[in-house]
Amino acid sequence: MVFSSITFLYYFLPIVLIIYFIIPNKFKNLCLLISSLFFYFYGEGKFLIILLLSCLMNFIYGLLIDKYRNKKLAKIVFITAIVTNIGLLMYFKYLNFFIDNINNIFNTNIPFLNIVMPIGISFFTFQTLSYVVDVYTNKVKASKNLIDFCTYVSLFFQLIAGPIVRYSDIDDELKKRKCSFDEFGSGVIRFIIGLAKKVLIANELGSLVSLLGNIPDKAILTYLIIAVSETLQIYFDFSGYSDMAIGLGKMFGFHFLENFNYPFIAKSITDFWRRWHISLSSFFRDYVYIPLGGSRKGILKHIRNIFIVWFLTGFWHGAAWNFIIWGVYFGILLIIEKYLLKDFLDKHRIFSHIYTLFLVLISFIIFNSESLSEIVVFLKSIFGFNNLPFSNFSTIYYLRSYLVVLLCGIIFATPVVKYWQKIFSKPKLRYIGSFLEISGSMLLLIIITAFLIDASFNPFLYFRF
Amino acid sequence: MKNKIITILFIIIVCGLFLLNIIVKDIDISDSERRYLTKFPDITLSGLLDASVFASIEDYSSDQFVWRDYFRGLKAWVQYNILGKLDNNNLFIEDGQIIKIDYPLNINKVNTFIDKMNLLYNTYLKDMNVYYSIIPDKNYYSSNKYLKIDYDLLFSMVNQGLDYMEYIDLTDKLELSNYYYTDIHWKQETLDEIVDLLSSSMGFKIKDKDYKRHEFTEFKGTYYGQIGLKVPFDKLTYLTNDIIDAASVYDIESKLNTVYEESSLGKMDSYDVFLGGSSALIEITNNSNTSKKELIIFRDSFSSSLAPLLIEGYKKITLVDLRYMNMNLLSDYITFDNQDILILYNTSIINSSDMLKIF
Repeated sequence: MVFSSITFLYYFLPIVLIIYFIIPNKFKNLCLLISSLFFYFYGEGKFLIILLLSCLMNFIYGLLIDKYRNKKLAKIVFITAIVTNIGLLMYFKYLNFFIDNINNIFNTNIPFLNIVMPIGISFFTFQTLSYVVDVYTNKVKASKNLIDFCTYVSLFFQLIAGPIVRYSDIDDELKKRKCSFDEFGSGVIRFIIGLAKKVLIANELGSLVSLLGNIPDKAILTYLIIAVSETLQIYFDFSGYSDMAIGLGKMFGFHFLENFNYPFIAKSITDFWRRWHISLSSFFRDYVYIPLGGSRKGILKHIRNIFIVWFLTGFWHGAAWNFIIWGVYFGILLIIEKYLLKDFLDKHRIFSHIYTLFLVLISFIIFNSESLSEIVVFLKSIFGFNNLPFSNFSTIYYLRSYLVVLLCGIIFATPVVKYWQKIFSKPKLRYIGSFLEISGSMLLLIIITAFLIDASFNPFLYFRF
Repeated sequence: MKNKIITILFIIIVCGLFLLNIIVKDIDISDSERRYLTKFPDITLSGLLDASVFASIEDYSSDQFVWRDYFRGLKAWVQYNILGKLDNNNLFIEDGQIIKIDYPLNINKVNTFIDKMNLLYNTYLKDMNVYYSIIPDKNYYSSNKYLKIDYDLLFSMVNQGLDYMEYIDLTDKLELSNYYYTDIHWKQETLDEIVDLLSSSMGFKIKDKDYKRHEFTEFKGTYYGQIGLKVPFDKLTYLTNDIIDAASVYDIESKLNTVYEESSLGKMDSYDVFLGGSSALIEITNNSNTSKKELIIFRDSFSSSLAPLLIEGYKKITLVDLRYMNMNLLSDYITFDNQDILILYNTSIINSSDMLKIF
């Protein structure tokens, strides 16, 4: 089930809200757990067993590590936990990729396995991994309540497309949380903003990309618009989902950390990654980069650590070479920035923004390509090495037709809404601001409903990760 | 206070529409979209385990949503007026005409169409009088502001691929006003010049053009509901004269025995008034024609409204729709024996020729 669907908005959510706010506090986690398991079962059917297995396994690991703390058995359990969690991910996500590459390199004919990847496995596996590591390193106490723990892993707000929530972040709220009109209302606003980002911008840009992709006589401008649209699409799709997750969390009394912070206003690639998919980059920072020594053990080891982290970041996004190249591409850029460009970028602000946007745009061409040859064709076309005309009628037609959506995408990728909110929070304008917020959000909800009812394009890009 | 109001309004909208969706009875047919709406699926264990039941529920929930037509209208309005889209669901309105963009031109499909027609010719039509013609879809006549397929390329490819047959060019005889405002098809009452061109090219005569006009003023064509916006009803006119009235009809798929099936008017597709709509094979016999002259039309739905106007020139017209009948079965129903042959398809069919069951 996806948040941007009629079934979620007008069946699942009202039923869960009604039950959740009627029942006594002691049953609220059970209510969230049952609804989350149904939410997963609705989309994934029998793969619910994998989720339950992961929950149970990691709950037991946590208890055992806690019980045998400071003993050898705790380390054995910890290593077992890491191996089984990563093993689960390897089997469902990467096994066929390895088989394919072994066949190509050694000219063998190992048959592919009939494996379907359960949606969200990358997200919930990383959550359980962070839990096990945090319990082992004594950063968090092991959960003694199976229902609370399963609720943490399977919370439908963030189960299938993140953000990656750490147990330590919501440990207290799992036990006790407050719900108020203030929290609920601001959660609603955040949820509707996320929905609007997804339905009115990301889906529309996705449709533009698809239409441009079908043009038989492409021009340089066609590739340029595809590159910009895809970059914006993935941002609005994913940050929209994160907004919805954060908003839903607030409605039910949880406070998740921000996952995006206007990444396109970044003034370097380093800055970009502090603003993009924050929960993933902080996961790799805390659980891979720092344990490897970070930047404290000399230049060579620092470079090695950056490469490992960015190889893994790329590989986490998908079992394909373009994702690995994408990750390594950022690794190289980050090394160059840290050792060569940092001072220059700090001094030249306008250049640094253009530089960042350009490199991010190129990165998403790599990210969205389905093969290495596609990356080459795209880059050659966009830089005018494929003898294409600059423009043509079909491209201009679609550009005209989607111009407002594209402009909205560009404008709302900047903190303009935040700026407006700041202006309207001044005492003189507060009432106007409140009126605009109330009427605007409800109008958006109705328009989004109309788009969902007549939807023809609604995939979530980050589900495949 | 602000958040309190937002909370209350959100709960009212979400829970209110939830309750309404539960209470309001499901609808079988959408008049505006001219299609059957999805019903609640049967729940089976296998369907639950592979989650296919839930995929059907997704379709059901949006199909049966209360005030669906109003919401679709709102979406279309936002698309045109707020987002400034030039088309919605590939449809646009120009001079009152709802026009579909059938883009892009699929070269492979056009080649497949040519190959299929060649096979049809080589299998059944050798040494016969074979004519072919192409009916441009409405977008051919729209202004150049909108996206179009490369019609010139389509026509030249087909002309080159079927150059041994006699081509009858209809493009100069048609304009936007020959088509319904809300439908893909041409209007029967405007086909005078088309009939004249065919008769002069193929050598048959139509003398009685004194038709009686029958009008249906609440016609909702294919695009009426798809466009999502409120548009006026269209007018469907069908023509009769003594010869058409006296003609007998044989349809291998139904019990239709008249040229016009008036019971179709006002139903899901009123255009079915012409020969009862889609059918694999229909024979129209002109009982007043004493010659042995026969015509076979390999056709799509455009010919349903054209054929009645040609019947005076022939003893029998056989309409074959290869979308619903495999070419290999033709010899079971037709003896090919010196009949006139007309291959008549509109550009949309040529651009999606997989639907023709020839190979």
